[in-house]
Amino acid sequence: MTSSQFPFDKTGFSTAENEKIIRNLKEETNKPVIGYLCCFAPPEIIAAAGAIPYRITGQPGGDTSPADSYVEPYGCTYVRNVLARAGRGEFDFLDGLIISHSCDMVQRLYGIWTYYHPLSFSYLFNVPHQVTPWAKSFFKRELGFFREKIEQFTGNRVTPEILRETIGRYNKNRALIREIYELRKLDHPPVKGSEVLDLLMAGGVLPADLYHDYLQSALATVKQRKPETTNKPRIMIWGSIMDSPALFEMIEESGGTVVCDDTCIGFRTWEQDVPPANDPYDSLSEHYFVNFQCPRTDRGPGTERFKYILDRAREFRVDGVVGYIISFCDPHKFDYPDLRDHLKKEGVSMVLIDDNYSFEPSEAIKTRLEAFMEMFC
Amino acid sequence: MSQSEMSRAKRHLETTAKMKEMLPRFFMRMMERKFSNEPVAWCMVGVPPELLKAFDLLFEWPENFGTMCASRQVAPMFIQEAENDGYSPELCSYVTNTMGYCKLFQEKGEAPEESPLPGGMGTPAMLLGSGFVCEPRWKWFQSVATRFFDVPVYSTDPLAPPWDIDAKDPRIEEHYLALLREDLAGQIEFMEKHTGKKLDLDNLREIMKRSHKALSYWRDTLALRKAVPSPMGSTDYFHAIIPQMYLVGDEDAVIFYREMYEEVKDRVERGVGVTEEEKYRLIWFGLPPWFNMGVFNYLESLGAVVVYESTYNVGDHFEVDLSDPLEAIVRRTWQRALKMHEYGSETMPELCNPAVFGGFSGSNLLEELVEQYRLNGALMHLTRSCRAVSFGEVHTRNRLAKTNVPSLIFESDMADPRFWSDAQIKTRLHAFLETMDKAKQGGSIDDL
Ligand code: SF4
Ligand code: SF4
Repeated sequence: MTSSQFPFDKTGFSTAENEKIIRNLKEETNKPVIGYLCCFAPPEIIAAAGAIPYRITGQPGGDTSPADSYVEPYGCTYVRNVLARAGRGEFDFLDGLIISHSCDMVQRLYGIWTYYHPLSFSYLFNVPHQVTPWAKSFFKRELGFFREKIEQFTGNRVTPEILRETIGRYNKNRALIREIYELRKLDHPPVKGSEVLDLLMAGGVLPADLYHDYLQSALATVKQRKPETTNKPRIMIWGSIMDSPALFEMIEESGGTVVCDDTCIGFRTWEQDVPPANDPYDSLSEHYFVNFQCPRTDRGPGTERFKYILDRAREFRVDGVVGYIISFCDPHKFDYPDLRDHLKKEGVSMVLIDDNYSFEPSEAIKTRLEAFMEMFC
Repeated sequence: MSQSEMSRAKRHLETTAKMKEMLPRFFMRMMERKFSNEPVAWCMVGVPPELLKAFDLLFEWPENFGTMCASRQVAPMFIQEAENDGYSPELCSYVTNTMGYCKLFQEKGEAPEESPLPGGMGTPAMLLGSGFVCEPRWKWFQSVATRFFDVPVYSTDPLAPPWDIDAKDPRIEEHYLALLREDLAGQIEFMEKHTGKKLDLDNLREIMKRSHKALSYWRDTLALRKAVPSPMGSTDYFHAIIPQMYLVGDEDAVIFYREMYEEVKDRVERGVGVTEEEKYRLIWFGLPPWFNMGVFNYLESLGAVVVYESTYNVGDHFEVDLSDPLEAIVRRTWQRALKMHEYGSETMPELCNPAVFGGFSGSNLLEELVEQYRLNGALMHLTRSCRAVSFGEVHTRNRLAKTNVPSLIFESDMADPRFWSDAQIKTRLHAFLETMDKAKQGGSIDDL
């Protein structure tokens, strides 16, 4: 499989597309595929152990009723969606599963999934909730346990050299993604938010080298584009998991341009390099625990917890933030009132879209988005 | 909103009735100290209450405040305030109750008059959180300190091993114990700094001795409920947790739980049950509807008695060596984790601290309970705004079905009465009792 099979302007890295790709890759390489959800457990370790990391996605709007036989109706609609897919056997290409203890729902998804549909390899990566020196030590030890487990499964040793080398390959991709985001700081970004999501979705399925080629060709394509000339409201997207471009498209249709994001499959995983250190596990702890900006980690009260968002809003000269929260998503629903107020102090308005992970482009949402964009004209 | 006919609950024990004199005395003492400007810590269940006592710190439990607001029917007003501020109705109603309270407190400069406690929860000087059980707990105090009271916060993070890890592997044990120990050390350092007092370990040990004594009476009382007819129901159970929250480590609490044990034992010996004719013995899962505790009396009027509750339950986890009281706090937390793990922790994220009554859900413990407590059915309260405690009920129902014990999952909330309808709940309870009849006669529960 080569990256030229995925021309940037044509192929959408949708859920369905990603699954086709992973099945092909698995057949071609004969490597086990390890599904992961939330990236506290570094995909670098999975790759270094000779497996293919695959970021699990849901199927927005899909039928979640199969989940009813194991979980309550009141639960994050994305997690229910994933569970329903597991129940239907849609993840039959996975050889293993790694889930991080990020939010409550994801942590419990692990227990229920592995209880009812055991896989030959599974691991819950436990993550402390606040950044203290002892929590950091716990995280680092957890990385060690995780490495041991995956080594046992694949039979390959993850030496510090292999790990460093794998981190290096991922960092090269981070550099390219940063370059793409730099272009979004321009007055007239040559790339759309929906396209960037597509690029990042590809990072959840393509092995690092292939992804590198793909990013390079995407970057070349984007750089050749003639920039638009109309000024559009510059929008940041914040909120729950978004693995469908639908909302980005709705914003674009309402006249806005999405210039940055703070969501699960967004800039936050790629924006900084995994820092160099003598011990690669220190590097990974720094990157995936200390620096990784997920609202499930408690960074104390006050502004500190929103610093990441406020800084991005300034850097990308954001006019407004579109918040997107799906039903029963506690980490985001709790943060919303404080975030809204902090943004307001900075002169940035916010609109909140509630959804049940259907991404239905409803009239009501469109009207709200249009009204929001008009505020900036 | 018209008041439900189930809003008032009748208790059966004389001991729990005594709380009516005991607690106001305690609250008055607290109030006097508050008025002399002693600092108050707001605490989350999960903070070892013995520590609070050892620091002689004034404290409030916003969770418990939530239950009180619910039973006094004022929670909806506070919750509405929080919703006006942008908090979603889906969020934990204890949290939104707190947020609404804080908002009104700030607007008025004093406790809103609707507060069930004299002087409300006062103004916190510090927030002591605990992330056990759920995510909202991480957000709760973070937000209180961001929006309302700019005071220092310390939260503990009692992580537990996932269900499929060998928790008895010494390396795993050390992995978790190290976190628990350091976390506790951090908490003590924080408390010393913000109270200006040094922790006296001898004092802490004595407090823990009394607290564990009280807990052991409580545990033994719960075991007495295996008797047929059951001597004690849920209205007494859910109220009797309060002394351990407020009077922990006091001789008063030891006396309270001892007297309760003796009273319940006496009832067993005399064959006195909660109802005249005990037709059904139930296990209750989840938090109770604090605004309608009379639902338990309603069930009793139909001959159905709840004899075991999944929340606030204690086992033997506090039987630890107290010579080093700090290590004892760590060990009892860990012992509980091991127990939960042994029983199956597939739906549990973190440990619960046994000193403040943990809970369990979906586990191998079920078979034991069904047999020992002679259970005929399970009532599962699916609390819409607390997914943390109700999560796992469907899984538990699946496991109970294997023992031919039917379950009823019904939806409502612990503090927010908006999802409750007397008529609907009655219909469902009646239908469920019929199902239990069928199951008792050997019928299959599959057609539930
Ligand atoms: S963070 Fe929110 S959207 Fe993401 S899995 Fe958790 S509850 Fe669901
Ligand atoms: S366990 Fe439930 S009731 Fe308690 S704080 Fe968490 S969400 Fe709220």
